[in-house]
Amino acid sequence: MTTTRTAPPPGGTRMTGVAGRLLNGRSHQLNEIGLLVAVVVLYVALASSAAGFLTVHNQLGILRDAATVGIAAWGVTLVIIAGEIDISIGPATAFASVLVAKGASEWGLGAVGAIAVTLLLGVLWGAVAGWLRAVFDVPSFITTLGLWSVLGGLGLYLTDALPVTLPDSAVFDVLGGDIAGIPTSAIVMLVLFVVFAYIARYTAYGRSIYTIGGNAAAARLAGINLTRIRILLFATTGLLSAVTGILLASRLGSGSGSAASGLEFDVIAAVVIGGTALAGGRGGMLGTLLGVVFITVIGNGLVLLGVDSFLQNVVRGVIIVGAVLVNVVVARRGRAVATT
Amino acid sequence: MASRKPETRKPETRSGMSTPLVRVSDVTKHYPGVRALTGASLEIEAGEVRALLGRNGAGKSTLIKVLSGVERADAGTVEIAGVPLDGGVRHANRLGVQTVHQELSLVPGMTAAENLFLGAWPRTAGRVDHPAMRRAAREIFDRLGLDIAPDAQVGTLPLAEQQLVEICRAVRREPRLLILDEPTSALAAAEVDTVLEAVRRIAESGVAVLYVSHRLDEIRRIARTATVMRDGQVVGTVDLATTSTEDAVAMMLGSTYEKAVRPQARVVDRATTPLLSVSGLSVPPKIVDVSFDLYPGEILGLAGLMGSGRTEVLRAIAGFEPAAAGTVRVEGEDVPRVTAAGMKRRGVGLTPEDRKSEAIIPLLGVGENMVMSDFRAVSSGTSVVPARVDRAARALIERLSIATASARTPIGVLSGGNQQKAVIGRWLHAGSRILLLDEPTRGVDVEAKEGIYRLVRELADKGAGVLFVSSELEELPLVCDRVIALRGGTVAAEFTGDEVTVDAVLSAAMAA
Repeated sequence: MTTTRTAPPPGGTRMTGVAGRLLNGRSHQLNEIGLLVAVVVLYVALASSAAGFLTVHNQLGILRDAATVGIAAWGVTLVIIAGEIDISIGPATAFASVLVAKGASEWGLGAVGAIAVTLLLGVLWGAVAGWLRAVFDVPSFITTLGLWSVLGGLGLYLTDALPVTLPDSAVFDVLGGDIAGIPTSAIVMLVLFVVFAYIARYTAYGRSIYTIGGNAAAARLAGINLTRIRILLFATTGLLSAVTGILLASRLGSGSGSAASGLEFDVIAAVVIGGTALAGGRGGMLGTLLGVVFITVIGNGLVLLGVDSFLQNVVRGVIIVGAVLVNVVVARRGRAVATT
Repeated sequence: MASRKPETRKPETRSGMSTPLVRVSDVTKHYPGVRALTGASLEIEAGEVRALLGRNGAGKSTLIKVLSGVERADAGTVEIAGVPLDGGVRHANRLGVQTVHQELSLVPGMTAAENLFLGAWPRTAGRVDHPAMRRAAREIFDRLGLDIAPDAQVGTLPLAEQQLVEICRAVRREPRLLILDEPTSALAAAEVDTVLEAVRRIAESGVAVLYVSHRLDEIRRIARTATVMRDGQVVGTVDLATTSTEDAVAMMLGSTYEKAVRPQARVVDRATTPLLSVSGLSVPPKIVDVSFDLYPGEILGLAGLMGSGRTEVLRAIAGFEPAAAGTVRVEGEDVPRVTAAGMKRRGVGLTPEDRKSEAIIPLLGVGENMVMSDFRAVSSGTSVVPARVDRAARALIERLSIATASARTPIGVLSGGNQQKAVIGRWLHAGSRILLLDEPTRGVDVEAKEGIYRLVRELADKGAGVLFVSSELEELPLVCDRVIALRGGTVAAEFTGDEVTVDAVLSAAMAA
């Protein structure tokens, strides 16, 4: 058997030897390990400097906050891997919280009915954005910007910018509370994590998403239905925004058109910190999970440390850019430049 | 793992005669105004590697399109294992025809194994079976003698291995006929060995291989026979062992090939200091050791097959590609560090090969496309003065005879020839004396080509030195005073004046 001598390709650095073979194609694993280490370091640093960080109460709070970002983040991860973007998460979540509140109270649908309708509408508004992208080639930034604006406006319009109280209901109590001591929203987030991790790795749909993001032309030539997949992608994030909105309303006891403000940026930041490239083709759920934890813990820590709320944004901005910079450098080292 | 077996039907045999695996009979294919294929016939046996030779435009691509089902023949038949092909690509695939094109269609972020099964990932119990994919990939790689890790991210593999993954993807579908379209044209000589060995093993397993390439030395190593095409017709099928390069070239060019009228030979003073002097240039992986001099007023042609590295030479001189070794001297002075900005200052201007994506800015005006090389010349202080841009643009448009409604017309609207003139004009605006022209007449119609030849000669008459890269060998004698041919990473041959003929240059570029 002839062995191929692989000469190092020009322009890129490659590590040699067994470690090299393992790691060169897996820069994302390097990235995840790095992120895990960063999270551990964060924990150690905050445990010693922030009062009350390690309490059960605070940690459960972190889980709850993580869920608000994490649930939508699974869907947005797939969207970004496919080479698209979704910036509608914040207003979509708020609108969903308004829908479920109004549905259960004013519109008389009952708790379960309101939840069902909200979820269905979430799928629909996402599918519309996906359809515009898939069939008419309207850039996804614009279609989801449209959702951002329309849903945000509708949420405020329907409520006159006032919160709408959720009626009493066992369903809402459970959704907004705990199951066996763990916040329900966190359980939902983790269950969905497993589901989406499976989809990404073990379904043709998931592999097709990576294919489209990596080389859309090759995907088409291989017979993959790009239209169907693109519509599904955004229908999914629509659904996940609706889920997040319902859980949020349940926890707060009311739906509000101004809830979850800026959530879309936290979601995208978590996904990108987790190692998913904005250009598409690379990324994974595990990275996003670590990114979500990373962002949530930092937010929590800054509050506990008593940092001025405006300065918190400054710190978060610096950290987000820094984390992505590290990603980019690591990815470049682990990837040779292919000669054309 | 599900593999798609090709459709089988017992081929009808007349007593004693075996049916060839691939039979093309009298196939004709016309496009509006072009007779791309006329009465083409050939037969390939199972396990045979047949080379397909011919100039660009000889009909090779059309033949491949008909074989792979992309196009339907207007007349004639194509049979695979006795079954007529008369449907689209899917039918061709079912009959066992797989094509590997020149442009790779791999997903760089996915593993080699996953790329092998793109769009058809094997599933077990409803879920994508990664271990099974890995096993299947390893089996194919082992079978072809390749040391590629199934889990390697394809984007990190060297180009040769990427090409092999692409080939394996076709092989995985168990083809009867494998068409390889210039599989090694982008590879360096050393990487070609692995590809040839893989192709050999594929053929040994009973697959008929149609190998399109211009590299005769490779073809001789892999194929026993070659079908030569010219002007849409099959000229003949020859035994490579008994056919010399000159004979093959003669078949490709034809005996009625007329030598175009050559312009009067120009006088070039080669005793003075060369404008540009390159020695020992090495740009891995394609260029090993290239040395030449370019004199003032000289038009030096740089010939070679696709993939021979001509573009890399130009880019390295212009400072856009790092050279591993070699020195560049401009007007006798050493250039210690070759950078794009530095070479531009020294008067080097490069017109890229891919005009559409690397040379023109389609939506900007013709004028702007030209003055962008030196905004200071049309500025006053820090502001660009539109009136000065217009003046400079008009002057250039007139000097170069660019046909455009106005200097502000978006350049994307102009014809290829006029666009090219504007790109050359960009460097005239910058005052460049050393022009590196990479395929300047590609996509330019016949008349405009003449215009460009005239322009290049005029510029040389005024003292510029021009390095002219072209794959269209016929034009080299019409423009160049001297031609060097690249092969195997070095200058293989040099022809001056009357020595520059298409046969000579082609033989030098292909020879083995």
